[in-house]
Amino acid sequence: MQITVNGVQHEIDVEDDMPLLWVLRDELKLTGTKYGCGIAQCGVCTVHMDGLAVRACQLRAGDAQGRQITTIEGLGTPEALHAVQDAWIEHQVAQCGYCQSGQIMSVASFLKFKPNPTDEEIDFALSSNLCRCGTYPRIREAVKTAAAKLRGEV
Amino acid sequence: MKTLMKYVLLTQLCTVAVAGQALKKPDDGSISIEQGLKSWAKIYDVVSHPRCVNCHVGSDNYPMWSGPSYGKTRRHGMNINAGNSRMGVESVMCSTCHTATTSEAAHGAPGVKASWRLAPVAAAWFGKSSDEICQQLRDPNRNGNRSFEDVAAHLNHDVILHWAWQPGGKREPAPYSLDEHVNDIMSWGWAGVPCPSDSDEALTEDITNE
Ligand code: FES
Ligand code: FES
Repeated sequence: MQITVNGVQHEIDVEDDMPLLWVLRDELKLTGTKYGCGIAQCGVCTVHMDGLAVRACQLRAGDAQGRQITTIEGLGTPEALHAVQDAWIEHQVAQCGYCQSGQIMSVASFLKFKPNPTDEEIDFALSSNLCRCGTYPRIREAVKTAAAKLRGEV
Repeated sequence: MKTLMKYVLLTQLCTVAVAGQALKKPDDGSISIEQGLKSWAKIYDVVSHPRCVNCHVGSDNYPMWSGPSYGKTRRHGMNINAGNSRMGVESVMCSTCHTATTSEAAHGAPGVKASWRLAPVAAAWFGKSSDEICQQLRDPNRNGNRSFEDVAAHLNHDVILHWAWQPGGKREPAPYSLDEHVNDIMSWGWAGVPCPSDSDEALTEDITNE
């Protein structure tokens, strides 16, 4: 089947029901997207499908055909980081880092709908992205900075 | 019952030329109120089942987790709130985890080939009695302006509703079957959409009129 990831079309030979996460990590060697629970409970595998957050562990490869998949590797470039990545560096959010690609992908999707979120809205949006290191206070601040950047205020 | 189902199917297929039998609505009064109430009791078994009612929640927009696979009744985990959009646009879209395919894994996310979402607030059923839900379902102002035939037809074409009988994994399906449920709705409708408290109301009216 054909699958488009970060703007590049790939021909892959996998079963229709293989989770997209397996395709990304094992077939395409894009290991920035992580595996945590496999059952939509941790958020660590979050990528975008047509610009919206989706858990790659829940999405079958067959259902990703014909759609635009974006992973953390394709969100920005080292020369032109996405505003969320930029804010993440500014606030030094990561501790161990394992959950962070999922956090960043979730935030990049969330801010499209909520350009100026309150603390409560951020909590609602990110409670399904777990962080064992407890970086939540820094995540919240970085989300606000990222939102301000996207609004063109900083 | 077979006739009822055929009638429903025909009402679905009204634009399709169906050769053969002309199916008629039963004569008025041929399905008794008692039979209608029996059908309603079965309808309530379905609409109060966790596969249905967990997403038929009120205006706080919290989906519920309840039923045999969850033990204690609780709100959907991970602080999920579907917002006024009822599909999570305000925070986490339901479709983030509820994709086009239902997860067979224990505690994985169910899904269908349609946007996963909560039912409208007007159709909030969670924790409500048989009579309350019955009143809601026969009230066009609260059922999406639907006749009972429309309610039955709605069941035939909404794949989220079909999922209730094929939830995948070890999730307990809604009772009976989709066909039986549709038949019960038609039988309830033809009996005049009776609700459990109707006889109480009639009694009260009689007493007041005396
Ligand atoms: S690995 Fe997908 S949500 Fe946990
Ligand atoms: S930074 Fe370690 S799990 Fe989040």
